[in-house]
Amino acid sequence: MATEDARYRQSSQYRLWSFSPSHLQSLREKTSSLAVSHISNRLRASSPPVDPLPDFLTPADEAMLLNFYIVDLLRAAQFCDLPSEIQATAAIFFRRFYVTNSLMTYPPRALTMTCIFFACKAEGLYYRLQKFADKFPGITGEEVLAAEYVLCQGLRFAFDVRHPYRALEGAIMELRRLGDFDETRLARAHQRTRDILKFSPLLTDAYFHYTPSQIMFGALSMADEGLLQRLLRDAFSGQSESSKNQVLEMVQSCRAMLEKEPPERRTTYWDASASKETMKPLNKKLKKCRDPDRVDLVALQKARREQALQKTKAKVATKEDSDVFGASNGVNNGMSKEDEREAKRRRVAGGDMFGPPL
Amino acid sequence: MAVSPLILHPAGALQNARSVSSPLKNAASAQTSSNGTPLATQVVPNVAAAVQSTSLDLAEQLNEDEKRKYVKGKKLGEGTYANVYLGFLRSDPSQLVAIKKIKIQKEYTEGMAPDAVREIKHLQELSHPNIITLHSVFSSKDQNLNLVLEYLPLGDLEMLIHDTEHIRYGAADIKAWMGMLTRAIWFCHQNFVLHRDIKPNNLLIAADGEVKLADFGLARSFSDPYRLMTSNVITRWYRPPELLFGAQHYSGAVDVWSVGLVLAELVIRTPYIAGNSEIHQIQLICQAVGTPTEENWPGVTKLPDYTVDKEVVPLRGRDHYMALFGTLGAEGVDLLMKTLSLDPKKRIIARDMLKHDWWHKDPRPTRKQDLPKKSGGQAKVGDDLKRRPGVVDEEKGNKVARKLDFGATK
Repeated sequence: MATEDARYRQSSQYRLWSFSPSHLQSLREKTSSLAVSHISNRLRASSPPVDPLPDFLTPADEAMLLNFYIVDLLRAAQFCDLPSEIQATAAIFFRRFYVTNSLMTYPPRALTMTCIFFACKAEGLYYRLQKFADKFPGITGEEVLAAEYVLCQGLRFAFDVRHPYRALEGAIMELRRLGDFDETRLARAHQRTRDILKFSPLLTDAYFHYTPSQIMFGALSMADEGLLQRLLRDAFSGQSESSKNQVLEMVQSCRAMLEKEPPERRTTYWDASASKETMKPLNKKLKKCRDPDRVDLVALQKARREQALQKTKAKVATKEDSDVFGASNGVNNGMSKEDEREAKRRRVAGGDMFGPPL
Repeated sequence: MAVSPLILHPAGALQNARSVSSPLKNAASAQTSSNGTPLATQVVPNVAAAVQSTSLDLAEQLNEDEKRKYVKGKKLGEGTYANVYLGFLRSDPSQLVAIKKIKIQKEYTEGMAPDAVREIKHLQELSHPNIITLHSVFSSKDQNLNLVLEYLPLGDLEMLIHDTEHIRYGAADIKAWMGMLTRAIWFCHQNFVLHRDIKPNNLLIAADGEVKLADFGLARSFSDPYRLMTSNVITRWYRPPELLFGAQHYSGAVDVWSVGLVLAELVIRTPYIAGNSEIHQIQLICQAVGTPTEENWPGVTKLPDYTVDKEVVPLRGRDHYMALFGTLGAEGVDLLMKTLSLDPKKRIIARDMLKHDWWHKDPRPTRKQDLPKKSGGQAKVGDDLKRRPGVVDEEKGNKVARKLDFGATK
């Protein structure tokens, strides 16, 4: 517990959301195959039955589409003028959600909205639901909320995301303190690294495999390798070359991952026609193979709530009934004293079910 | 790096349940039932089928696994915000837990309640012997959140403080309780979390006497310099002057003030500064500590809600505190005065509190198993946990600011 490393290992990001590449891959394959088998069953069972079954998205297709929707999510989050941390939290929520849920099961467009709204909540920025929904034509507040619960479950109720942004501020301060570099170079590297961090780690699996500081160093190395070397020299002065190289190796492999999606790709690929050519057929494919029962999340959520409500009502009713019987025939009703008291108290405090007075 | 001089770690099956490895590791081998498919009489799309469906996605499987680890027992308490149940570990029924089932809130129409989100968020990250452990969270079929919390059967510090008839305690006991509270708050701050609601009834007591900080419904992470925070937090009696004056940039110093007031309350066994309105609270602070002025707190007059009586009360000196809190000894009084510094920049920080001389002076802190306890029993557990985070019992008049800036920021 003493060191920062030990504390990071207590974080939900490490405990629940860090994987080796092969493990992550197997999770995604598992998610995909489960989705395919469930959706196949549902399509066959629908009337009229769908036959032949459509082509399903492969895990590779899903990976590509995932990024397509993350770019979309970032666009929407920027449109709401959200701070970059919250944008990043929303994007990481989205990535995490689709580790254990398939794009074919839960419609990604709806989830982008839910992720942004919930990221605001998780980061303590209270965006009014209506105000948020009004920003996007054709989206209702109900739609934004419909997937919130499913999202929380998919996130395994871990709402804290550790970002590399503060690490970068620290590194730049440290470089200034060392005093070996002129301000123009530092300012340029600072800006460049920030741009990388706002995009590349969100479009790759970096958050699943690396710590925030490793991601920051990877991005800094992309921006200005000399600065990284200087920091490491300082941090490892007096220590063995091998421990430094171990860290360096980690940083280089992270850098290699980030370089697959440098910030320029946003304009040269994602916002350009190049991506549309790839994405259009994939989206078409998705439309044909998506879960028929989960297309309308609002209706699904309503049905779930109603089911829950009925269950609660049924429970209360049984309790009240047995209480009445308990009062009339005394001992032999199988109800403990405690339950009786409980039921009575509930009736007295009956306002509960409808919440406190306005 | 940051080493607390006073930390000990408990061992035990439940603590280990929160191992560092990812529980997803075993998920890949889990099997699903394949019989969940409804028969061929439905139309596409079929929402009812999705609701009834028993074929689980991976995410749902993981949730089921989590849920199955625990057995829910009898109800310990019921409130509008949550119900609390006694529960135990399926694999080891001797390991008790409290299961807090958060109700769907009808008056809050914007989805999951922010206080529940805050509580879950922070408790997921904080693992410390003096902070209530969140073993797990799972959702039940009816979409209620279930928080599996450490079972703390001996009530809270407020019960002990105010039961002057039956409970006697001395300086050594106070030191032990304060040590545990200070370590808890040090740990929060070390992890960049502000608790923002420290008070005696949020300090729960474990079976072995350990004090555990609970109720993170108002907690938040440290803010970035450019982001404002609401000043409307912390139960009034424990709220520091900067928040009463409307400061929107603040630090761990707000919690330290509350910790100081818990210390004072432990000694005099009644809340030390108990105003019945915010204005009254400021007046009482002026009388108890001194009037905040530009001399003792540069910049204070620029805070948005700065108002004090014309008559300036000079800062209270050591003698004043010695007369009231002399049982703590000179060092104890020194620590108290440092936590009650009006200017938050001059207030002692949690880490320096842990380094204070008081802990090393006689009497030594009581060993936790020898601390006075009250057999509050299960009813009180239910009471403490079922409360909506951040609220106190209304009749006491020390209502906390419940409504955070919903909608105020955006």
